[in-house]
Amino acid sequence: MRKKKVTERYTLEDLASTMIFPVKLTKAQQKQAAIELAEARKKSQAAMSEETRISLRLFQLKFRLEEYIHSKEYDPTLTFGYFLKEYIRILDKKRKTFAAEISIDESLLSQLINQHRMPPDYISVRLELHSDNMIPASYWYKLVEKQKEHFIKTDASLRAKEKPFVHGGLRVQL
Amino acid sequence: MEIVELATGRRKPVSISRAEDKDFRILTEKRFTFDWISLKETTTVYKLQLCDTGDILGVMGLIDFPGEQRIEISLLASSRENRGKNKKYDRIAGCLIAFACKLAAKKYEGNACVSLVPKTALVKHYMSKYSMRYAGWQLYVEGQDLDNLIKEYINEKEKSNGTVYP
Repeated sequence: MRKKKVTERYTLEDLASTMIFPVKLTKAQQKQAAIELAEARKKSQAAMSEETRISLRLFQLKFRLEEYIHSKEYDPTLTFGYFLKEYIRILDKKRKTFAAEISIDESLLSQLINQHRMPPDYISVRLELHSDNMIPASYWYKLVEKQKEHFIKTDASLRAKEKPFVHGGLRVQL
Repeated sequence: MEIVELATGRRKPVSISRAEDKDFRILTEKRFTFDWISLKETTTVYKLQLCDTGDILGVMGLIDFPGEQRIEISLLASSRENRGKNKKYDRIAGCLIAFACKLAAKKYEGNACVSLVPKTALVKHYMSKYSMRYAGWQLYVEGQDLDNLIKEYINEKEKSNGTVYP
């Protein structure tokens, strides 16, 4: 008995909800396909709302943040201040307006952006609420944690400063 | 990201990542329909697997077109036991398509686009199931619809008490 092809075994609806088949186009068809898609996209791009554009930019920021906090690498430029500045830029808000929206002083917002101060925990929570939960507080928190971990691992001056306060430590050779 | 076990209605967490060389030994044509080994030269292959067991349930091949700010899904397959009326899990293809949308949004933000060249008979089904738009030879998703797919399949929001909801 002839073995049934995949396309014969399932309904079209089943196939569309579980598969995408490779389709080979000729050179001429490829060219036509590219023109048709470019024309269609031009129209849909023109009709795209500003709200949608902002939402997609926020997704991009979220995914970049997500990738960074899950990576093992430390990048000194990807700070809490950097991502916060990007968030405000995407929303196209003035710092004064944004500071008022999360009920903090504008000077505190500047300190956070310029890395002159580490954010208290409530800032991460307010940012989560401000983004309507799109960027979770835990992401902001992990970002701060990553910075702190790097400093604690590498800060030689802190070690020199603290050394006089430690007496009779272990002398174990591993 | 979660799929749904149809027998119990339970949601199961899944992850999507690049397929590694060792994966291609188990991505057989019998279970995943296509010859994935030959396809890895022309597409970037991603696998969807259950977080708890690591079992691979879906595979997708992508091609990036940076000049057009577009990612094409050149093929996708849910595993054999997850097709048809007796399938075990639902949302496998949706999660994979939304993942392609996520990659496009990450790279091309507001101009992000995901496309595919459909078999003619499946056009209307892709359009209704995944809000794809018609563009002659190709179907595509961008803007609000791309945003919606990411929200529906990927973007699990966290409530302030730490619980995750869809």
